[in-house]
Amino acid sequence: MTDLIPEPALGADAPMRREIGAVTLTERTDVGLASLALRAAASEPAPFGLILPGPGDSVVLQDKGAFWTGPGQWMIEGSENGDFAATVAAEAPGCSVTEQTDGWVVLDLVAPAEALGTLLERLVNLPPEALTPGKATRTLMHHMSVVLIRRSDSRLTVMGMRSLAGSLWHALEDTAARLA
Amino acid sequence: MLIPHPLLGPRDAQEFTYLGDARLIDRPDGMAEGAGAAFHDYLYLRDNPAGPHRELWYHEHGDRSWLVVTRDTTTHEILGAELVKGPGR
Amino acid sequence: MKRIDGGLIDRGQILTFTFDGRNYIGHGGDTLASALLANGVQLMGRSFKYHRPRGVLTAGSEEPNALVELRSGARQEPNTRATVAELYDGLEARSQNRWPSLAVDALAVNDLAAPLLTAGFYYKTFMWPKAFWEKLYEPMIRRAAGLGALSMAPDPDGYDRGFLHADLLVIGGGAAGLAAALTAGRSGARVVLADEDFRLGGRMLAESQLLDGQPASDWVAQAEADLRRMDNVRILPRTTVFGVYDHGIHGAVERVGDHLADPGPVRQRLWRITAKRTVLAAGAMERPIAFADNDRPGIMLAGAMRAYLNRWAVAPEGRVAIFTCCDDGHRTALDLVARGVKVFAVIDSRAEAPRFGDYNVMRGAVVTGTQGRRALRTIEVTQSDGTSTWLECSALGVAGGWNPTLHLTGHHRSRPVWDATIAAFVPGQGGPAGLAAAGAAAGRGGCAAAMADGARVAGEALAALGMSVTGADLPATEDPPQAIAPLWHVPGKRRAWVDQQNDVTVKDIRLAHQENMVSVEHLKRWTTLGMATDQGKTANVTALAVMAELTGKSIPETGTTTYRPPFTPVSMGVLGSGDTGPGFRPRRLPPTHRWAEREGAVFVEVGPWMRAQYFPRAGETHWRQSVDREALAVRRDVGLCDVTTLGKIDVQGADAGAFLDRIYSNAMASLKVGRVRYGLMLREDGILYDDGTCARLAEDHYVVTTTTANAGPVFRNMEFARQALFPDMDVQLVSTTDAWAQIAVAGPKSRALLERIVDGFDLSSDAFPFMACAPLTVAGGLRARLFRISFSGELAYELAVPARYGGAVMARLMELGADLGVTPYGTEALAVLRIEKGHAAGAELNGQTTAAMLGLGRMVSVKKDAIGAVMSRRPGMAGDTRRLVGLRPVDAEERVVSGAHLFTEGAVRSMDTDEGWITSACYSPHLQTMIGLGFLKDGADRMDEVIVAANPLEGSEVRLKVVSAHFVDPEGDRPRD
Repeated sequence: MTDLIPEPALGADAPMRREIGAVTLTERTDVGLASLALRAAASEPAPFGLILPGPGDSVVLQDKGAFWTGPGQWMIEGSENGDFAATVAAEAPGCSVTEQTDGWVVLDLVAPAEALGTLLERLVNLPPEALTPGKATRTLMHHMSVVLIRRSDSRLTVMGMRSLAGSLWHALEDTAARLA
Repeated sequence: MLIPHPLLGPRDAQEFTYLGDARLIDRPDGMAEGAGAAFHDYLYLRDNPAGPHRELWYHEHGDRSWLVVTRDTTTHEILGAELVKGPGR
Repeated sequence: MKRIDGGLIDRGQILTFTFDGRNYIGHGGDTLASALLANGVQLMGRSFKYHRPRGVLTAGSEEPNALVELRSGARQEPNTRATVAELYDGLEARSQNRWPSLAVDALAVNDLAAPLLTAGFYYKTFMWPKAFWEKLYEPMIRRAAGLGALSMAPDPDGYDRGFLHADLLVIGGGAAGLAAALTAGRSGARVVLADEDFRLGGRMLAESQLLDGQPASDWVAQAEADLRRMDNVRILPRTTVFGVYDHGIHGAVERVGDHLADPGPVRQRLWRITAKRTVLAAGAMERPIAFADNDRPGIMLAGAMRAYLNRWAVAPEGRVAIFTCCDDGHRTALDLVARGVKVFAVIDSRAEAPRFGDYNVMRGAVVTGTQGRRALRTIEVTQSDGTSTWLECSALGVAGGWNPTLHLTGHHRSRPVWDATIAAFVPGQGGPAGLAAAGAAAGRGGCAAAMADGARVAGEALAALGMSVTGADLPATEDPPQAIAPLWHVPGKRRAWVDQQNDVTVKDIRLAHQENMVSVEHLKRWTTLGMATDQGKTANVTALAVMAELTGKSIPETGTTTYRPPFTPVSMGVLGSGDTGPGFRPRRLPPTHRWAEREGAVFVEVGPWMRAQYFPRAGETHWRQSVDREALAVRRDVGLCDVTTLGKIDVQGADAGAFLDRIYSNAMASLKVGRVRYGLMLREDGILYDDGTCARLAEDHYVVTTTTANAGPVFRNMEFARQALFPDMDVQLVSTTDAWAQIAVAGPKSRALLERIVDGFDLSSDAFPFMACAPLTVAGGLRARLFRISFSGELAYELAVPARYGGAVMARLMELGADLGVTPYGTEALAVLRIEKGHAAGAELNGQTTAAMLGLGRMVSVKKDAIGAVMSRRPGMAGDTRRLVGLRPVDAEERVVSGAHLFTEGAVRSMDTDEGWITSACYSPHLQTMIGLGFLKDGADRMDEVIVAANPLEGSEVRLKVVSAHFVDPEGDRPRD
């Protein structure tokens, strides 16, 4: 094990967490991510028993999950273990797997369903049906590409490019504050 | 504008990047005889129709699919959209 | 005017406010205009050009006259229409465009000079001398003619944005809009109802017409309560839909806090509303009749007079008359009489004018003049037999008919069409797809007619969406008669105002016509009719009618105006939606950003990235000292630089090599596993596009790097190639730019430093030669990748580690290399090092250059097809003899400036003799002189020649010696060491 200390995407000593009115914003550093793409000859795998979802959808099975990112492409979610891609690759023979854990800032947004709905209305230009529980989609938020995963009525995960973590946090914080 | 994404439904055009004439898909073979002339036509001779136009849009802030969108250039009406990489291609 | 009983105001709410420093009292539900009128204030502004005293003309957003400055300090907002400014306790308002006061305005002398200030006077008068325009005429005109003033302080308010998606958007909450919303709401459609007023009901609130035998406001309240109970209906009051865009997208502004003394965290919100169908139920706007001196305070539209009477309980005082050409004027008379206001005459231009109640009608008569300096005193009435009489009159209501508020139907260039039966333009064909007008906006006015129409149009919209329609219960009511015989202007010698906001009269229109302004568009630009904050809402149709009369054509033949967004003025603040300060634009931070902050780095914006530019050390007072020190440290010892911003693309698949052979001009399929190759990407037209390294990690796995600027575009192009050009290849792409922190470790001691951090990895040149790459672990098991590549020309490596460890690895390398003289360097030293080495960057890959010009012509393989390869060989391009060269000043003290153009010594300076230009220049601490890179005609064959760099911008010329672009280690031994 290395003795080097990793830095959360937002750059603080510990993952950020903030309550703004009814909205709680939390930085996640425990999520492992790996992208998975089908190769021409490969049959669709079921890594960790996950049935890979179709466009706009996500699935969860115990501590693993997957969401659709494009035709023949998914992101697999699990626990951070330093080399999540290797774990996924073993589950998806013949597929192209790439480590993505460090490429993203992962933020959880928890709020009562109504407040979360209002917040989404202020943040992204998507019809509500694109973000019902279980849905996952990539879109624009404040000029940044983000992935939104609606975990439940009251919980949303926002993933953005790691280098944009500060700007994304600012956008979410600011919008939530205007709501409060 | 709204682009009717064949997999994700209507999405705001801000999520997309525009390229141009869908004829760009039909790239000549660079090793073939007369490739120079073929590339000249491919690059520089474009139709500019007043009416339905097949054009390329990239879902840059979405699923990164390239789409062929048929748009009426006189009304902006969108007559169809399909993945550039689809069955039969 | 004075306050009477009744109305839709909350008398329990006492609101104090000031206008021009005087205190007044109004009530909840008042607008600034209604409250001022209730306090007997009629004079509210001075006109734009002539500084004529003006009162309120309308009771809505079309108001041309009553423009005021609201609030004070940083919140001061000019040109606000008093007719839509909702009253709040403590409101401060000031009149505009007057000095020293509204009542005594010195610039009213302009009115006496009116013959000089006619249509087009700027263009005629201020032609010369030319220099006077900017210094004298324009400032003078701007001071004399104009609107309100800005505070010049930063806007202290907050703004917001939002996105709504609806089956049906209903614009306007009057009779038609409410019927449409109720119908769609009951049918289960997702409805957004937007109304610019703070109270739903539209024109119904201004009328005395009963619905089901009850006041209309009761029914409106019931309808609103019903709508609010529906989860599928969203009501947005105080929200103006200002523009219709393609595919059912609408722009709207919600005035969230403008009606509050403290606007709160969000003053206004910009909505982008995407609707499958839209019902435009924006109602209609009354139009005036142009007659001599028709602009005095006390003269207002008859419908506005009725609105102030019924909704705001403000009645005219003294002698009241109505001037009309239609039945609607009589309606005002009837309502006034019913509220105990005596109407001494309804002057109706129609010979067969009706009489509906207890008032005197003067048939076939017109108003031909008025008097009264700051308020109306008398009017001149001329009978059909030509006899004229001056009559005392303190309030005159003018009814010229109603124009449908069809502006939004014209936002996609649809032109309105003339409907002779109502003597007005109605929406034409070809308007925004999915949008249909209903009610008065469609020319189907009257409360009952509009309600029925709103329900019908909404039903049709839902049916078109395949939804079943549940009708709404609409109240019983009967519309009064609406006959009209249009009268546009009353001929006469004195000025008759058409556009009160821009001070345009019938005479100006006639003059413009005489001066050959044949089209309506000419008229607008010559006279300024229809410009400024009201965009001619009360003027355009009348002006067209006058123009038609002058040309002897019909109104529809004469033309229509073009309507563009925004419908009413939109503040710049709300268009920015509060994205100021850190929210102005996204900012990307590389993984070592915090470490660099702790090191005291100076940062520079590189596109969206913040990068360390240099790291000042104690005692350094000039950036050059820091940069020179950093660059020398790399050449002497070892330096560290975060190069994470370079794009990284993971390329996998059975055909990855074959695919990259198409993407790069040089071969990549032949690259061995564990090796890196420098690659060039061309545009399909043969011009150089991007460069970078390509590393092969496995048979079916490459990592491509791009320049920082092109990371996004290169990925986009590679996806295009993958999906569209070569769909049969088995290749998968994914960006990993953010996943890896990449640190350049450069300098003769770089190997020595890296040996201290790798976990038992053999770094010797035999085991890990120049252009090798490998996965490895560092610092006790941290997953990493090492590339032996060099941008500086020294022995160098790039170490990639998971991004979250970037800062920690950087800090560890600094610690481990302290005794080796390890030095962090920023983008400036990076640039110096690469110029000294002659490596191309953005300034050389500027979209005009070729591989051959960089001396890399052989990197465009002729053995395979690659993007851009064919066109790079076309004659014009292949024949280009300009080559990248190094340039050193003959006199070492001289400056070398990028952008300067190159000439043979002694040659005439002209386009024909121009032989190239300098792309990059810097001070080389290594050579202790400035150096440059540039493209020079026949450059490869001109080594040691002395040429001239001309910089006409600074008037300087420098003699330069042509040398190899590789100022440092031209043999390239150092990186292979």
